[in-house]
Amino acid sequence: MGSSSSNMNHIPDAEELMQETGFSSAHLLRLYERFEFLDREKRGELTPDDFEAVGRLALNPIGGRIIGAFFSQGQETVDFASFVRILAHFRPADTNRRDGAPQDPANSRTRKLKFAFQLYDQDGDGMISRVELLQVLRAMMGIQVTEEQLQSIAERAIQEADLDRDDAISFDEFKKSLEKVNIDHKMSILFLR
Amino acid sequence: MAVLLRPARGSSGLLLAAFLCVLFLVFVSASSAGRDVVSGNNETRRDPAGGVTEEEDTHKKAFPVLSFKYNHVRKPFEISLWILLALLMKLGFHIIPRVSNVVPESCLLIFVGLLVGGIIKAIGEEAPILDDKLFFLYLLPPIILDAGYFLPIRAFTENLGTILVFAVIGTLWNAFFIGGMMYAVCQIEGAGLGGVDLLSCLLFGSIISAVDPVAVLAVFEEIHINELLHILVFGESLLNDAVTVVLYHLFEEFSHAGTVTVVDAVLGVVCFFVVSLGGIMVGAIYGILGAFTSRFTSHTRVIEPLFVFLYSYMAYLSAEVFHLSGIMSLIACGVVMRPYVEANISHKSYTTIKYFLKMWSSVSETLIFIFLGVSTVAGPHAWNWTFVIFTVVLCLVSRVLGVIGLTYIINKFRIVKLTKKDQFIVAYGGLRGAIAFSLGFLLKNSEMKYMFLTAIITVIFFTVFVQGMTIRPLVELLAVKKKKESKGSINEEIHTQFLDHLLTGIEDVCGHYGHHHWKDKLNRFNKAYVKRWLITGERSTEPQLISFYNKMEMKQAMMLVESGSTAKLPAIVSSVSMQNIQPKGPSRRRAIPSISKSREAEIRKILRGNLQQTRQRLRSYSRHDLFMDPFEDNVSEVRFRKQRVEMERRMSHYLTVPANRQETPSVRKVCFEPENQVFTYDDSESPRGPTAQPHPSPADAVSLLNESPQRPNQSKAQRSTGGDKTREKDPDEQEEQQKLSRCLSDPGPNQEEEEEEDGSGRS
Repeated sequence: MGSSSSNMNHIPDAEELMQETGFSSAHLLRLYERFEFLDREKRGELTPDDFEAVGRLALNPIGGRIIGAFFSQGQETVDFASFVRILAHFRPADTNRRDGAPQDPANSRTRKLKFAFQLYDQDGDGMISRVELLQVLRAMMGIQVTEEQLQSIAERAIQEADLDRDDAISFDEFKKSLEKVNIDHKMSILFLR
Repeated sequence: MAVLLRPARGSSGLLLAAFLCVLFLVFVSASSAGRDVVSGNNETRRDPAGGVTEEEDTHKKAFPVLSFKYNHVRKPFEISLWILLALLMKLGFHIIPRVSNVVPESCLLIFVGLLVGGIIKAIGEEAPILDDKLFFLYLLPPIILDAGYFLPIRAFTENLGTILVFAVIGTLWNAFFIGGMMYAVCQIEGAGLGGVDLLSCLLFGSIISAVDPVAVLAVFEEIHINELLHILVFGESLLNDAVTVVLYHLFEEFSHAGTVTVVDAVLGVVCFFVVSLGGIMVGAIYGILGAFTSRFTSHTRVIEPLFVFLYSYMAYLSAEVFHLSGIMSLIACGVVMRPYVEANISHKSYTTIKYFLKMWSSVSETLIFIFLGVSTVAGPHAWNWTFVIFTVVLCLVSRVLGVIGLTYIINKFRIVKLTKKDQFIVAYGGLRGAIAFSLGFLLKNSEMKYMFLTAIITVIFFTVFVQGMTIRPLVELLAVKKKKESKGSINEEIHTQFLDHLLTGIEDVCGHYGHHHWKDKLNRFNKAYVKRWLITGERSTEPQLISFYNKMEMKQAMMLVESGSTAKLPAIVSSVSMQNIQPKGPSRRRAIPSISKSREAEIRKILRGNLQQTRQRLRSYSRHDLFMDPFEDNVSEVRFRKQRVEMERRMSHYLTVPANRQETPSVRKVCFEPENQVFTYDDSESPRGPTAQPHPSPADAVSLLNESPQRPNQSKAQRSTGGDKTREKDPDEQEEQQKLSRCLSDPGPNQEEEEEEDGSGRS
């Protein structure tokens, strides 16, 4: 990969990032290259337009939400550190924990689920309401489905998951409904190990 | 005492029947030899026209009231008798639970085969052997089709890399290791094995190295191991067929030619790709043909299952014609065909296919094991201690080494790694079975054929008996994860799809063409081009989630009907708030039906009519028509019952009825009383609750009653949008569940009582 050591100097706070997220230097470099590729105007930060330039994201039913997830509350741009932190959620879980690793790494099961939960919960109130669920279902299923069918699916989903009967799904209920699913498998991208 | 006697009598009765069957079988095969001579004479005398013979006969025989003409039906009779015997045995095992818990069924069946073979041999008769034509053409395809059609695709594709590595590289390693080591063993002086050359050893190695799908299925079915391990071992046993076919033919050709050159080795590699990919392609073509045909079968539902079976069988046979891998072809056909066929065929045909496949594969498996036993007793054997013992030991050793070595490499590429326990089960589950035996049987060279056959049979017996019997206690001992019984959950389905989209998006952000990227591409291609051609009507645009949801509803409805709930048919007026619901898309055949009052009356009329019509129909019976029973047309009735069961379940939680509810108007509520009475009332009309208008139902049944006969105008007004046709799409249970959730989540005035009950629910 060329002179990796000199390139690492370009990356701000490389050591800290590696420590915090668990990425190796090779991965960090690769992500930095990708970051620079996306950052067409070379500002050192990404805007939503840069993300939308990734053509395939437009086809993705939840593309908009994914882009939104990179930008934390109220911010207009994403710097490299935040970019890497978000992507750290998708690392496969470490089987052997290093001593210096933080106690709650970004790719723990809870953190992964929290990330997914926040994508559902757009208004940030900590609960997936029926309306939010309907929005997601509508996005995923396109125009061929009638409103009634969506309603009944959403109804059934909430019924199954909603244990305290408050007509919305909290994070704990969300976790519980996915307890049989191997989240580590489903939410990991291999090349980010 | 009487209790003990009864089961004993039952099982002994069955055993007696089985024993009589065996005796009869033996008698029949013995007497048929004699029968040949006698019937021959009869035939010649009857050859000229019947009448002429009798006139010429001076000595006229009396008209035979009862005659014995066995030869006429001999073949089908014996085949049926064999199958009947096999199934009676299978039945008998399950009546004796003590035995069937310890010994897997396959062992018992082989044992029975040994017995029967022994009896037949003792009488001095010719016992039927498991010849290769019978096995490969008739007995094996149903099992493979059953496995391939119901293959869990998701698990299979997620672990495809691992499975391929085990199947291809693992089998190659096994074959060469065993072959090479056996050659070294044969060089040992004093073993009397000098005549076995390297190529023959390699041929033997290639036969014995393949893990057998039939044996694996038979043993793993009973231990209910977790899905990952099951798919690993089973997938390996299916995919190694290509390797086995290539190696077998390769070495067989060369054992005649004598020498192997590099060109031949390269050709062998090419042949491997041709065999496997060609087999898959043949299967895929037949699969697409089958899917396309099923698009047009909506008027002839009766023969739908036959298309599935015949196309698959043709795929198998066509692949066998070209020496391609028939097993892979069959699997590919089933996998390709299934999603499209299931979207097109009726529910009854789906059930038929499922049960026929299970039935045939069960019969085949039973017959295979019994015939294995019989052939063991019947066939000529050449026992050589050294050869046999070394074969068994080497099989075990090579399997263990292969699995450990390959797992070490594979784990670098897997997210979910294989633990030592997993590796042990994978290694221990490498059972050999009837495929190895049949391949051995096909060998032409007779001097070593019997020795090989003996060794193969010994290995098969060892793996099936020893490994098969001990794997269950070992699984318990090692606390290997068992298969989790989980009903389909709509939440899991939604979230899984959501996560798929999420990961695809993240992969796109990273610029990484990973697993999800390609899956997404395939799905898009499928949706855009393929589904349109292969699925009838509007179902071609139905998203997967909707199909899943419909399937779940259907399943629950079926369960309800089968459980035989006896409540009478309720009627609900839909009073869901209809804010700007625009009906989208044409009404579908399988749309969720709504229940309006007029429809309920319709349903009642149809039911009554059909029940009467059934009697009429029986008079004019036609083999080609499945008469439409009211069930399939009126899923709505069944939906009610389903909701009723749900409500019965929840009834126990609620003892009081919340009285005042000021929620969204025009939502009907369902409330419960301890005496299992259910009332419905409309909030806008009667805030006082059940005291206002009680409509008690019978004590043991719950039904939702409609009280709007008094207020037809109001309910009609609420239904005004869209008119009756759009009613088709109103999901009745949607409002049911809304009612339920309103009722259950409503704080109501009786705060303290509800809180007591909800205390456990609220976090």
